Amino acid sequence: MEIVVCLKPVPEAETRLRVASNGTTLDVEGVKFVLAGYDESALEQALLLKEAVPGSKVHAVSFGPAPRTEEVLRSAIALGADLATWIEGPSGPGADPVTAARVVAAALADVPHDLVLCGKQAGDDEAGLFPGALAETLGLPDFDSVVDLRWDAGAGRFTFLRATDAGGERWQVPVPCVIGLQQAWNDPRTAKLPNILKSRKAPIAKRAAAEVPGPASVPVGFALPPPRTGARLIDYKTPDEAAQKLVRILREEAKVFP
Amino acid sequence: MPDFALSPEQESLRDMARKFARTEMAPHAAECDRTPRFPEEIYRKAYDLGLMNLNVPTEYGGTGLGLFDQCLLVEELAYGCGGMTTSVIANCLALEPILLGGSETQKQRFLTPFCSAYNFASFCLTEPSGGSDAGALKTRARRSGEEYVLDGEKCFITNAPHASLFTVFATVDPALRTRGITAFVVPRSAAGLSTGKDEEKMGHRASSTSTVRFEGVRVPVADRLGEEGEGFSLAMRTLDQTRTPIGALATGIAQAALDHAAGYALKRQSFGKPIGEHQAIQIKLANMAQAVRAARLLTWYAAWTIDRGAKGTLESSIAKCFASDAALHVADEAIQTFGGYGYMKEYPVEKLLRDAKLTQIYEGANEIQRTVIARELLRQYA
Ligand SMILES: Cc1cc2nc3c(=O)[nH]c(=O)nc-3n(C[C@H](O)[C@H](O)[C@H](O)COP(=O)(O)OP(=O)(O)OC[C@H]3O[C@@H](n4cnc5c(N)ncnc54)[C@H](O)[C@@H]3O)c2cc1C
Repeated sequence: MEIVVCLKPVPEAETRLRVASNGTTLDVEGVKFVLAGYDESALEQALLLKEAVPGSKVHAVSFGPAPRTEEVLRSAIALGADLATWIEGPSGPGADPVTAARVVAAALADVPHDLVLCGKQAGDDEAGLFPGALAETLGLPDFDSVVDLRWDAGAGRFTFLRATDAGGERWQVPVPCVIGLQQAWNDPRTAKLPNILKSRKAPIAKRAAAEVPGPASVPVGFALPPPRTGARLIDYKTPDEAAQKLVRILREEAKVFP
Repeated sequence: MPDFALSPEQESLRDMARKFARTEMAPHAAECDRTPRFPEEIYRKAYDLGLMNLNVPTEYGGTGLGLFDQCLLVEELAYGCGGMTTSVIANCLALEPILLGGSETQKQRFLTPFCSAYNFASFCLTEPSGGSDAGALKTRARRSGEEYVLDGEKCFITNAPHASLFTVFATVDPALRTRGITAFVVPRSAAGLSTGKDEEKMGHRASSTSTVRFEGVRVPVADRLGEEGEGFSLAMRTLDQTRTPIGALATGIAQAALDHAAGYALKRQSFGKPIGEHQAIQIKLANMAQAVRAARLLTWYAAWTIDRGAKGTLESSIAKCFASDAALHVADEAIQTFGGYGYMKEYPVEKLLRDAKLTQIYEGANEIQRTVIARELLRQYA
């Protein structure tokens, strides 16, 4: 089975984000980009499937500038991806999700894929647009918020669980398709030191980004959330007392409800 | 131009150790310290990830890293827990004599099976009657045909209760002093070898330390490292290699102390403002930051020197001595920054002080490091 997993380099979780002086982009100077969150879970899912289905290959694909895109692909190789394709993108904060999906879709034209996995949304902008836009461009069905994806060899279909507010749905879907993974349900593995060392020398196929229409969306402005003030601790002896005090404050002071 | 930038490879090694330290080690550090507990599940993971036999070349199943890269990893691990780090890196110390003094056959015979599974090894030099004066050690090795018979006792031996392999320094003739000392590799299964109870320690309580007794332990001549009398120099050459990572370990503890102190200084209020706005606390933090960085740079410099093929005795002694003194001082100042809370076991900084203290003692006490530094230094002026 040919499993493609799309990975987006995102700023490390501890990064203190800065808005660039133009007010419409993030200042990524000096920011460290990593493989994280939903994409980490997507790669872990790809590796689990590969281990379950003999003869499978995991192909990591990422669109973006040096050095972060190469670094994310090397992390994926260290974790167990067999192949890596780097679609070179412009420097700076990165393309909008729909443009990125169009570029990746164009690259997948000559990359075999029985399954295309992505995080259901990116760990940075959390837009959640990429999987749908990618599926639409490729003309494939797509499913998101997926956990526990398996291959049902008898049926020749994938099955998975989809978390909903009411519980879970079990789905059975055809090959090929695009799937957006939920994060942090599968305990992504840590790369072993010898594999990290080997990944540094592994080949990465580099290609230019296709010309696509776009940009699909343009940010009009970024602002940091206003600093929070006035956290207040309620003094209490019993939970009952705490609840009563809280309700009084919400009603009389904050006037959240009458 | 000297270059302080890490390569992308080094960054990815460091990031991996950082993640392991913060997600696997740190969450259990307080519990393993309090109980105390030797967390086998964490050590097994460390082994699986390649963190345990860092200095052993890949052809024998180790990770095969240079000293600089080892130091990057060790600092990160120690940030998570100093005691666990002591146990994770103790194999490097125990196996170094085989790497430096073993024949090709011995390396294949001992290292390959050892590294192919989760195993601990122990370095047995110190004895109850003295550690600093290693030349005066008393454990005897008497030749008897194609074997030696070992008798004596070692103490403070890291990981001994869990070790499957021991590198042991014994004397064929105490009258020969250092020239009688000879090194051997002894498996746990050797009849007459026993380890004592886990010592109750001040710090590094996730690590395990005990005595090792040798009562008529028979060791084939083929398991002697080098010739008779070469053991002392082998021990010293081993410590020349492994001292620098102790500098890295101390730096990791110091960095953790600084991070805790700075974080607390921003939050804790007194006299209407964060204590970090009082100049006395600012001066503390400024001095702590200097100590941490100097410790790291001296450690990097020693590792870099040794990786370039130099012996590095002076550089590694300076790094180990400075970084361990810095760690103790920085941990002390972190406690002071926390005030009363710093003295409470519920907060993480008092453990850092207890852990830092050991780095001044083991792998050559700092008094001995200063003796070495002065000797090497004066030689340059003579
Ligand atoms: C937790 C722990 C783990 C350890 N792990 C190991 C291990 O795995 N393997 C191993 O072999 N050893 C190990 N050691 C032993 C350690 O290396 C020794 O404790 C250390 O070398 C000091 O030896 P000592 O304790 O006998 O002190 P001593 O040698 O008795 O020294 C006592 C004091 O006198 C000072 N002193 C001694 N001689 C001089 C001198 N000439 N000039 C000035 N000052 C001097 C010392 O610096 C020290 O302050 C460990 C120790 C501890 C505490």
